Amino acid sequence: MFEWSEEQQAVRSAVRRFVEAEIAPRVDELEHGDVPPYDVIRSLYRTFGMDQLARDRFERTLAQRRAVEASGASAQPSGDGDGDGVRRGDGGAAALTLVPIVELCRYCPGIVTAMGVSIGLAAGTIMRRGTADQMERWGRDLVTFDTVGAWAITEPNSGSDALGGMQATARETGDGYVLNGNKTFITNGPFADTIVFYAKLDDGSDTPMRSRPVLTFVLDRGMPGLEQSAPFRKMGLHSSPTGELFLSDVEVGPDRLLGSAGQAASGEGRQSAKDNFVTERAGVAAMALGVIEQCLSLSVAYAKDRMLWGKAIADLQLIQLKLARMEVARLNVENLVFRHIEMEAAGRSLSLAEASAMKLYSAQAATEVAMEAVQLMGGNGYMADYRVEQLARDAKVFQIYAGTDEIQVTHIARDLLAR
Amino acid sequence: MSGAPIGRWGPLSGTIAPMNVVVCVKQIPDPAAPAALDAQSHTLVREGKLILDDSDAYGVEMGLQLAAEDGEVTLVSMAPNGEVSGLRTGLAMGAAKAILVSDGALKGSDALSTAKVLAKAIERAQPDLVIAATESTDGYTGTTPVQIAELLGMPSVTFAKKISVANGSVRVERQTEAGYDEVECPLPCVVTVTAGVVEPRYPSFKGIMAAKSKPVDQLTVADLGLDASSVGWAGAGQEITGVAAAEERGAGELVVDEGDAHERIVAFLEQLKLV
Ligand SMILES: Cc1cc2nc3c(=O)[nH]c(=O)nc-3n(C[C@H](O)[C@H](O)[C@H](O)COP(=O)(O)OP(=O)(O)OC[C@H]3O[C@@H](n4cnc5c(N)ncnc54)[C@H](O)[C@@H]3O)c2cc1C
Ligand SMILES: Cc1cc2nc3c(=O)[nH]c(=O)nc-3n(C[C@H](O)[C@H](O)[C@H](O)COP(=O)(O)OP(=O)(O)OC[C@H]3O[C@@H](n4cnc5c(N)ncnc54)[C@H](O)[C@@H]3O)c2cc1C
Repeated sequence: MFEWSEEQQAVRSAVRRFVEAEIAPRVDELEHGDVPPYDVIRSLYRTFGMDQLARDRFERTLAQRRAVEASGASAQPSGDGDGDGVRRGDGGAAALTLVPIVELCRYCPGIVTAMGVSIGLAAGTIMRRGTADQMERWGRDLVTFDTVGAWAITEPNSGSDALGGMQATARETGDGYVLNGNKTFITNGPFADTIVFYAKLDDGSDTPMRSRPVLTFVLDRGMPGLEQSAPFRKMGLHSSPTGELFLSDVEVGPDRLLGSAGQAASGEGRQSAKDNFVTERAGVAAMALGVIEQCLSLSVAYAKDRMLWGKAIADLQLIQLKLARMEVARLNVENLVFRHIEMEAAGRSLSLAEASAMKLYSAQAATEVAMEAVQLMGGNGYMADYRVEQLARDAKVFQIYAGTDEIQVTHIARDLLAR
Repeated sequence: MSGAPIGRWGPLSGTIAPMNVVVCVKQIPDPAAPAALDAQSHTLVREGKLILDDSDAYGVEMGLQLAAEDGEVTLVSMAPNGEVSGLRTGLAMGAAKAILVSDGALKGSDALSTAKVLAKAIERAQPDLVIAATESTDGYTGTTPVQIAELLGMPSVTFAKKISVANGSVRVERQTEAGYDEVECPLPCVVTVTAGVVEPRYPSFKGIMAAKSKPVDQLTVADLGLDASSVGWAGAGQEITGVAAAEERGAGELVVDEGDAHERIVAFLEQLKLV
């Protein structure tokens, strides 16, 4: 694959038309936090029938999960929704998710974050790990974006070290668990209807905290003892509300422990958190591509238009260097995204190290390109009207969430050194 | 009632036969890309990828609303090099099938030749109603649809801003400078729609995926039973003898408001006989 197929281009131009008509004119409202992004996301889902596609897929996955459960086997986690553990090619379906991500990120990476966390992480975890009943109870409305999901692992004292350093606890009682702890930097935290929550098992034994099993729970907005903070003020990504969660003695029954009881007790929460790494990192690469494409095209137009010393700044070689480096970044990130799509179509996945390399490069490239776009436009670049300053502030988060740059480096190195 | 096809007005007595609507769609070079003229023939260069003319997206939307669930929309287009991208867009929106006429012999066709070809293709679909845009974005002679009507022996109504169908006839609100005329006309007929009168739907992802397997009937001039000498350069009854750059716009007149700006603007417009 060296370019988007005809069909992917058709998707791209339809989404681009929608983004330019419905989102671009409202970016300021969204960015200033006057309106949460959820209605815009729902309208995107409805307009393109993404809700119906998700509903159809949901019904298929659910039927398969029920069949597996009826056969007496425990639900096997599966990434492809077929529930039989056999990996098949996705026929290029990954592109149907990635193309809209690229287009949205030309204007508003925050929307993609709010959408991606709810659909990819919250719904994704429930659909992969949940029982059929749990899928019906929470998954059905999450996959169509009728409800908003959050995925809560990070804590004030454990980010990069989220699984080891986790301090939130789930104390076993006779008929369920009592949850305590704080989570922070949680996307959609302030507004989420459904929260996937990770905590360490406290079964009264003296197992050291670091090595205790991690359990995954599903919580509902408004449960006694659960507090969802107001959104934080941030550097950027304002269209994506980020907040804290406070849990004090939240009582939950075993029905809220994700997955069947036996599996859950063995601490499969650690694996559940890691399941998401590859998809999430590929998603960030597509986001980076959107930012880079937009910054590049705005920069080229600006360079040709801006006259200095009696000629366009595009004639200055230092400006040409910036444009050339942006184009190199665009080609590289696009190739990485294409590689991911091709591999998914072939029924294969990037290894964790490859996905980390892709995320590391794309995040740095997007931040550099967006910052250079600001530089190329001088004072105008620093002004909100010219749009690139927002993209630069937004792109910076790509180097922090979904694993910081430094954490990607450790994942790549670990793989290289294990050979 | 939401979801009802806007445009159809009723209550209708009895059942209406499913509407078979043909929409003419022109596939044109992307207007966002710089246009080029062939140095010798002075015609538009149409070598690259073509897209659905925006003007025709309104016609497709109108057609889909009128055909509703039980009817069907067929797209008809004449374009070089077997181009189907613009047709796929209309099929993704919901049209059922398409007829494309593409033939080297059509190069150089004028509006009348285009109309002859389209009329022949339209005949095959046996439509109850033919919809076209008032004028295309690239050629904009605005003459093709009425020529099609004449060749098909159908009545035509132009500048429609609203179309409704009932009891074998079509009622059109026809845009005028002052407002609109209400025109009624028996089916089958040709109606041209004005840009902006409906909101063309976005194709759904499912629609886009389905579009590639919808039938596109590709025809040549011979398939239509037309004589190659009556179309293309050979049949053109008109010729573009020269193309000149438009005159540079003169500098405007700047009115600085010193309390009397409105009077000076009115005086200026009066002088141009605009008010
Ligand atoms: C906008 C936004 C949205 C977020 N959304 C969510 C969400 O929805 N859910 C969720 O659970 N979390 C979310 N996060 C949290 C995010 O995943 C963490 O911020 C990230 O993992 C880093 O953790 P930290 O902030 O605690 O930094 P720390 O882990 O404290 O890192 C501090 C510094 O130390 C470096 N460092 C850490 N370990 C190493 C090492 N081994 N070697 C070298 N350097 C190292 C880091 O790279 C960093 O530079 C979000 C964060 C942001 C900013
Ligand atoms: C630069 C230039 C050079 C030209 N050179 C010549 C020339 O050398 N000789 C000559 O005779 N003519 C020439 N033409 C005219 C050209 O061939 C006509 O533009 C064309 O035949 C159709 O007319 P139109 O685009 O004006 O359509 P209009 O009459 O403005 O179109 C109205 C509507 O009719 C329908 N329609 C029109 N064309 C098609 C189509 N191909 N397929 C499907 N539906 C269609 C669409 O719904 C369209 O919106 C030239 C035009 C231009 C702009």
